[in-house]
Amino acid sequence: MARAATTVLPPLRRPARRRDGWNGLLMAPTLLFLLAFFVVPYANMVYMSVLYKPPDGPYLRVFTLDNYAQALGDLFYWRILANTFWYALLTTAVTLVLGYPVAYYIARAPTRRRGWLLMLLISPLLVGVVVRSFGWMIILGRVGLINTFVRWLGGPELPLMYNVFGIIVGLVHVYLPFMALSIAGALQNIPPDLERAARSLGASPWVTFRRITWPLSLPGVFAGTLLVYVLAVSSYVIPILLGGNNVLVMPIIIVQKLLDAFNWPLGSALSMVLFGLTALGVWAYVKLMNRVLRWTAP
Amino acid sequence: MDGTVALPAAARQTSRPPAGRAWLLPAVVAAVYVFLLAPIAIVVLAAFNSGDYLRFPPEGFSLRWFVKAAQHQPFVRAFEYSLRLAVLATLASTVLGTMAALFVVRYARRARDLLRLLLVAPLQFPAILTGIALLIFFYATGLGTRGMRALLVGHTLVALPYVFLTVSTVLVGFDRSLEEAARSLGAGPLVTFWRITLPLIKGGLISGALFAFITSFDQFPISLLLISVGNTTLPIQLFDYLRFSFDPAAAAVSTVSIVLSVVIVVLIERLVGLESIYWGGPR
Repeated sequence: MARAATTVLPPLRRPARRRDGWNGLLMAPTLLFLLAFFVVPYANMVYMSVLYKPPDGPYLRVFTLDNYAQALGDLFYWRILANTFWYALLTTAVTLVLGYPVAYYIARAPTRRRGWLLMLLISPLLVGVVVRSFGWMIILGRVGLINTFVRWLGGPELPLMYNVFGIIVGLVHVYLPFMALSIAGALQNIPPDLERAARSLGASPWVTFRRITWPLSLPGVFAGTLLVYVLAVSSYVIPILLGGNNVLVMPIIIVQKLLDAFNWPLGSALSMVLFGLTALGVWAYVKLMNRVLRWTAP
Repeated sequence: MDGTVALPAAARQTSRPPAGRAWLLPAVVAAVYVFLLAPIAIVVLAAFNSGDYLRFPPEGFSLRWFVKAAQHQPFVRAFEYSLRLAVLATLASTVLGTMAALFVVRYARRARDLLRLLLVAPLQFPAILTGIALLIFFYATGLGTRGMRALLVGHTLVALPYVFLTVSTVLVGFDRSLEEAARSLGAGPLVTFWRITLPLIKGGLISGALFAFITSFDQFPISLLLISVGNTTLPIQLFDYLRFSFDPAAAAVSTVSIVLSVVIVVLIERLVGLESIYWGGPR
């Protein structure tokens, strides 16, 4: 009796049910990997930030808020934080100004040329950040290209590297493609007919841009600025290589605390502060941009 | 009727940009591209320069810096180590990322958005903080960072999102009736995957693997925190070298790495087109 049932049913029922049961196995390894090596380590860092740091070891499992008091109570850290956010803002502004024309040009280019332009835009992204910083060292250094040229003209030596200027140049170089790609994506969604219609109705190029193109590209602008800002806040390599030891940003301080001073609790607390303040800024910005988008929406 | 006939002529007149400023946009764009490509081009030029110092214009063509770099043991060891690490990280992230993409695109229902967020998160969290979190974690659990294990985990973590994104992109436009046909003709799930699914998602899979490879090979912040004594990756070795000396051997090493990147860009462009991957971007 039972045998009869099993011999008739399987072809119909089994495949569907079996598939459902085993599908989870596809996700399990990756999920476990991410939980073990991403979620847990970050959670552990939060936990570490409220542990006590004894003078003679990395940490003790004793709850304390001392690390946060230390991180938030020291004017030094606030100054570094202000610098970090200021450089990130500058970087964002410059990448926006330089990236927008590029994005516009790419979005309106014929397909073949667009492929080339995108390739040239993306390839710097795939070159390592150390190599790119090295390139800037050759160009901006004391005996670098620009300075040799200026000296040949009889000018004074220009301080182009190991200062804020050098860092901003390096950061803009690294993040410009992200900005241009975000904006190009939004611009590609605007039908060119809209601009043509505005022009044919007598609007000047400037008015067409201000009233049609710019408002419609705002989602891309917001996405790009957000992305670049968040990436720039946490950049470490460029400030180290192009800032020398003259310019300090929060990631440098955090790594110092962890690797040189072996103060894991304070390093973790400082990471959390950087994280929290960045998130706060992002939250305010998202609120603002939602309002602007609602405003500009027809 | 008269009006509509008259309009196009007027429209054509106004839609042409004033001749005086038509060159402005291309000029600005060209300038930005020069800015983007200059430091990379300069490194390559410096590597083939015969002089002792990086001077411009180059003093003459020579391969001596490549020879010097190839004879500098730390560079050679670091290059081999980076290569081995990148190959392993690519394998691990490609397998994990492809499986996750298959599940998220096809079977995940309520958890889909959450899983997608989690899978892309390693890209959006600052790499330096991820490195710190992993460092503390590896020490706190007693695993330590000796050997390649910690590095491999870190590299796989940041390479995984690329594979997931590229394979997902291909899977979304996937015609499942082909698989159903294979199954109904008696092929088992593994055979179906091997003979039908895999060939169809090959483009996304390979470009994801290429992204993963270059992400690992060029990785800096995570490696800086997780390397162990005696085992250095190429970017870290280059970084150390640049802090103390400035000679064109570093440019030769950089050039090798640039060539690798260019090859990968061309391969991806051939396989799926770069346009399909707005990676790191909001998605």
